[in-house]
Amino acid sequence: MSALLAFGRFEVGRLIRSWKFLTITVGFPVIFYMLFLGDHSAGKVIDGATPWRVYLMVTMCSFGALVSSLTAGGSRLSIERGSGWARQLRVTPLPSWSYVATKVTASMLVVLPVVMLVEIVGIGFGGVRLGVGTWFELTALLWVTALPFAVLGTFVGFMVHAETAFPVVTGLMFVLGYFGGLFNPVDHMPYALQVTARILPSYHQASLGLAVIDGHGLGALHWLVLAAYAAALGLVIVWKHRVEEARGLA
Amino acid sequence: MIRFEGVTHCYGDHKALDDLDLEVDRGETLALLGPNGAGKSTTISILLGLVTPRLGSVEVLGASPRQAVAQGRVGAMLQTGSSSGLPPGVRVEKALQLVRRLYRQPAPFDLIVERAGIGDLLQRRTQHLSGGQAQRVRFAIAIAGDPELIFFDEPTAAMDVDSRRSFWRMIRQFGREGRTTVFATHHLQEADEIADRVIVVNHGRVVANGPGTTIKAAVCTRRLRFVVENPDERVLDALEGVTDVEVRGKGVVLDSLDADATVKALVKSQVAFRDLELTSAGLEEAFIALTERRPAPTGELGV
Repeated sequence: MSALLAFGRFEVGRLIRSWKFLTITVGFPVIFYMLFLGDHSAGKVIDGATPWRVYLMVTMCSFGALVSSLTAGGSRLSIERGSGWARQLRVTPLPSWSYVATKVTASMLVVLPVVMLVEIVGIGFGGVRLGVGTWFELTALLWVTALPFAVLGTFVGFMVHAETAFPVVTGLMFVLGYFGGLFNPVDHMPYALQVTARILPSYHQASLGLAVIDGHGLGALHWLVLAAYAAALGLVIVWKHRVEEARGLA
Repeated sequence: MIRFEGVTHCYGDHKALDDLDLEVDRGETLALLGPNGAGKSTTISILLGLVTPRLGSVEVLGASPRQAVAQGRVGAMLQTGSSSGLPPGVRVEKALQLVRRLYRQPAPFDLIVERAGIGDLLQRRTQHLSGGQAQRVRFAIAIAGDPELIFFDEPTAAMDVDSRRSFWRMIRQFGREGRTTVFATHHLQEADEIADRVIVVNHGRVVANGPGTTIKAAVCTRRLRFVVENPDERVLDALEGVTDVEVRGKGVVLDSLDADATVKALVKSQVAFRDLELTSAGLEEAFIALTERRPAPTGELGV
């Protein structure tokens, strides 16, 4: 148990001590929030209920969760796996399953402060006001539903070669961010894109967050899609890990 | 300590280990000697539980390799090719502290640092280390858990002469402390210098097994030099035991696996030689003689 804790602390410490990681994960959602808020549109109401500044805060929390997860895993993990360090850990008493589990957990742990930071910027810069209960609910929900992103970041680190991981991560950020409706409400998009959004986890995560705001109740379908993504990607990682173990590579 | 019986393992069509047996006693320092692709790394990977062999039984410290590793009784320095084998973006000190915390009874931090000679590297980030420096850090990581049994896979590959010598001293020290060491190398000198026993492996089989000196005797390639007025290469090549003939003018050099027989045959052949000189071929030659031949039954080399 103490070995697991030590490894977890080590992984989280590495993430938060990395300037590159902090700049990207904190900078992107915060800057985009400020950029897209715009003076004239701050009070604009989306779909008759949610003001744009609140909508954008929720989607930028999603985007922050997405970016930090992909950056925490992604090319960092891919490079590390290529370095032989993962293999070295396998000849220590650290249980072999804990490598993947700790990567995902560490991603999840850094998502929470990112979400909270975007919320603070929403309050301070966007003038968002919500009830205390709603804040708690929103934060908890956005955090828990970031799991598919954390798994996705780890997935990229496992499946993609170090040299190609960076463009893949950038592409995923764009596709999941833009087509998932994090920068622009999905309902304002052409029909084809509205359909596309519905197969992306980012759309479903943000939708759950927005449902908290306008009190629409949390749709089971959103949960289902997110759970399916987490499970499917997780299974592929475990499979890949097993294959590499059997070959003595990992 | 280690029992490794009838182990066979393949990567695809390639047979990496072919019915290999080996045994290591407590406190022994064993060298696995052989050329690249001989099966040394596969053997070590299996002993560490990284690879599960197709056939054969393996026991490490009275348990399965994975159990022995999980109990924290084993340390290892693996081959990492061109990469460092260390976590990128981390200070050496952090990485070493982490590995210590993974073991229940690690070696004292200062002792590890001193033994690996990495005092000046602790604050460096791992990606800024040279090959030799990274190797010293990986050595520190290998001994961090105060292991009873340590594996080194080509430990000195990137080291300069000085680091190599201090590494050898360290290994001898481990032996005196009662630790068991298994290391893979393709340097005969290294094997001969530090190991209590050398196992020569080639094509996934044990070719020879014994103390360094026995290994040398087993393959005693001797070199005969003499002078003949009109050397006939065909006659010389046909002499018993001769593996190689070199004629330069009147000077002749013969390599022989059985010097006694070759000299007798030379006398019988009535070749009018003079100035006969007999030397033991260097270790490297002995090694090449051993490993360049196709897999041979162990007995042939007088194990």
